[in-house]
Amino acid sequence: MNDKSPAENLSFAHFAIVVEERLIARFFLLLQQGVRIRRRVGCTVATFLQEELGAGPATIEKIQSIMLDGKPVDDLSSAMIHDGSVLALSAAMPGLVGATLRRGGAYSSLRSVISYHETGEACKPGEGWISIKLFNLMMAELGPGLLRQGVLVKSHDLADLLAERAEVFRQGCNVMLDNNPVDISVPESNAALAGKDQVFLTVAGSLVSA
Amino acid sequence: MDKILRIDVGAEGGPKSKAVPIGDYAGLGGRAMTSSIVSKEVPPLCHALGAENKLVIAPGLLSGTAGAQSGRISVGGKSPLTGGIKEANSGGQASQVLAKLGYAAIVLEGKPASDDLYKIFINKDGVKITKDNSLKLLPNYDVVAKMKAEYGDAICCISIGPAGEMKMGAATVAFTDMEMRPTRHAGRGGLGAVMGSKNIKVIVLDSTGMPVRPPKDPAKFQDANKRFVDGLKKHPVTGQGLPAFGTNVLTNILNEVGGYPTYNFKQGRFDGAAKISGETLAETEKSRGANPTHGCHRGCVIQCSGTYNDKDGHYLTKQPEYETVWSHGGNCGISDMDKIAMMDFLDDNYGIDTIEMGATIAVAMEAGLAKFGDADAAINFIHEVGKGTHLGRILGNGAGMTGKAFGVERVPVVKNQAMPAYDPRAVQGIGVTYATSPMGADHTAGYAVTANVLKVGGDVNALKPEGQVELSRNLQIATAAIDSTGMCLFIAFAVLDQPETFQALLDMLSAFYGINMTGDGVTDLGKKVLKMERDFNTRAGFTPQHDRLPEYFKTEKFAPHNVTFAVKDEDLDKVFNW
Repeated sequence: MNDKSPAENLSFAHFAIVVEERLIARFFLLLQQGVRIRRRVGCTVATFLQEELGAGPATIEKIQSIMLDGKPVDDLSSAMIHDGSVLALSAAMPGLVGATLRRGGAYSSLRSVISYHETGEACKPGEGWISIKLFNLMMAELGPGLLRQGVLVKSHDLADLLAERAEVFRQGCNVMLDNNPVDISVPESNAALAGKDQVFLTVAGSLVSA
Repeated sequence: MDKILRIDVGAEGGPKSKAVPIGDYAGLGGRAMTSSIVSKEVPPLCHALGAENKLVIAPGLLSGTAGAQSGRISVGGKSPLTGGIKEANSGGQASQVLAKLGYAAIVLEGKPASDDLYKIFINKDGVKITKDNSLKLLPNYDVVAKMKAEYGDAICCISIGPAGEMKMGAATVAFTDMEMRPTRHAGRGGLGAVMGSKNIKVIVLDSTGMPVRPPKDPAKFQDANKRFVDGLKKHPVTGQGLPAFGTNVLTNILNEVGGYPTYNFKQGRFDGAAKISGETLAETEKSRGANPTHGCHRGCVIQCSGTYNDKDGHYLTKQPEYETVWSHGGNCGISDMDKIAMMDFLDDNYGIDTIEMGATIAVAMEAGLAKFGDADAAINFIHEVGKGTHLGRILGNGAGMTGKAFGVERVPVVKNQAMPAYDPRAVQGIGVTYATSPMGADHTAGYAVTANVLKVGGDVNALKPEGQVELSRNLQIATAAIDSTGMCLFIAFAVLDQPETFQALLDMLSAFYGINMTGDGVTDLGKKVLKMERDFNTRAGFTPQHDRLPEYFKTEKFAPHNVTFAVKDEDLDKVFNW
């Protein structure tokens, strides 16, 4: 995975969290709602997964359902990532509909009217903002890396998550907001997020209690 | 499993039981058994709550054995909701216990001569039927508690709640789980009302002293079972996704592709989906000391169920299924998981189908009886059903009845049964199954094994438009077959992708019965079951016009993809041409 911190991220308040490793998963729920990252665009989904998200062949094999702009993708080597794309990743899902939504699966015709088809529009290479959603097993697979590198999140989503888990974060969590310490185990401290539409969030694990 | 227990509820002096040889029904289990008996013995034009209808309860072919995932139980009869033949199946302990007791089916038949309510106790020594009017209108949890106090800890129960006694079209038949809670339901089609019409409140089963059913070839059976279990455990759906997150893992992905019916099937995305997703649910359960990985019956290795605790850490209900979270959640605009869990408990306790109830509440909200998103109003609606108020009687008879009563056009039913949690405009192939299944709109009707494993009807060209019809046909055939084995339908995921796991299943059946079960044999069984069911419905007055989705699915564009259901009627009519 590219270890980038583009300059664009610097225009947002930086919420830097260091937690015990066991608590990183508590932030995964943000990933299902969608976070934004600044990455190279104008490449195929396959390239993006490999080079921008750092997904190896085994991980890509696990990603059985890929939705680009809300549409199931069957061909990773033709679907293109654009500036503003929404990319959602899921492992294999149960049920007929779960099977239907698998990429290139035997049942893909059952949802043909919503399948992703590349329009052939020119896709300018460069950097852009991508919304990433990670579901189910993909959270633990790709989530820690994304959170460590940093993601742009909606402030109210982060505030809700911290408020609901204040008890959990009472111990084992160090937080800096633009280099100033914040006690997020106290719900009122989430006022620090007030007035901000989005914040740049990084979450890293520490082997010892923070 | 060489006998059928027939209970004549209209016998002089009260219900009388008689165990009879299995006869012509030998070799059948689950759905094949229920649909065979109903098809042969129930006049299709009879009243579903009358003397001529029968309630059939049948374990699967491998229930009561050491085989994994073999604990599904089928309930059949003429449906008070659809007017057609119905099979609804459930997990829980009863299938294993009933099979160990040697019964291939229990058949409730006749018409009670009085208003008295009865309980039935079955163990190795026989059958005892007792009048017990103290059970009248008790909810399921209370019924089970009384039975436990009376018969001890080794039992399992098959019961109905107040909705069944009041003969409502959404009434379920409840089955107790491993913790003896009535959390598992044969939910669809109102079969609880048929049990209620027979004045049977609860059937108590105790297999103490009965051995596990022995296979004809123990060594081969053990080997096949091991390969089968290995296949389930190594597959990412049955070995990882379902155990970690349960069936509600589908919420996020359905919402993402815009196929998640929201606000009574008005749109395909719900803003609150992440708050009620399987991922959130599992995390909440763990944080409250509950367990998101749990089986619904002994012998389950998938463990897709769990328990849900309230904010204080006390048990509230079992882990709500995807369909329940959707029906009471997104479809009603509700994103409060604690309220949804409460509704799940109330549905289980009163004995109401969660899909039908949630769809009904959404129709009631569309009618203006409450605002979308009003969780407390939704809870009150369920209490109305449980109490049997005038409003509750309407709601308890389903979405179709409620739509008629309050003048709503957007009522998502086929054959008067509410649609499950997948919009047929986004996933059109499932719309084919909703439309044509003999059961009414049913997400499990076309669920199982893929064409490229079974080759049902030959290879399907998925790129051809008619591929959707062919796939629906093949899936319905395969599902009917799986339902007849009594295997959990979730095995389908491993069988779908791993031919060796499908072979292991065939080998289990072959080793147990001393036969040579093949893929073709499974296909023939599925076709036979569907043919019987279609024939029953035809004789009950169903025509091709009943194999249709409501008109608005063809005209109302469904956001975000703005699609309508486009499969032609003439193509729907080809589904059962084989």
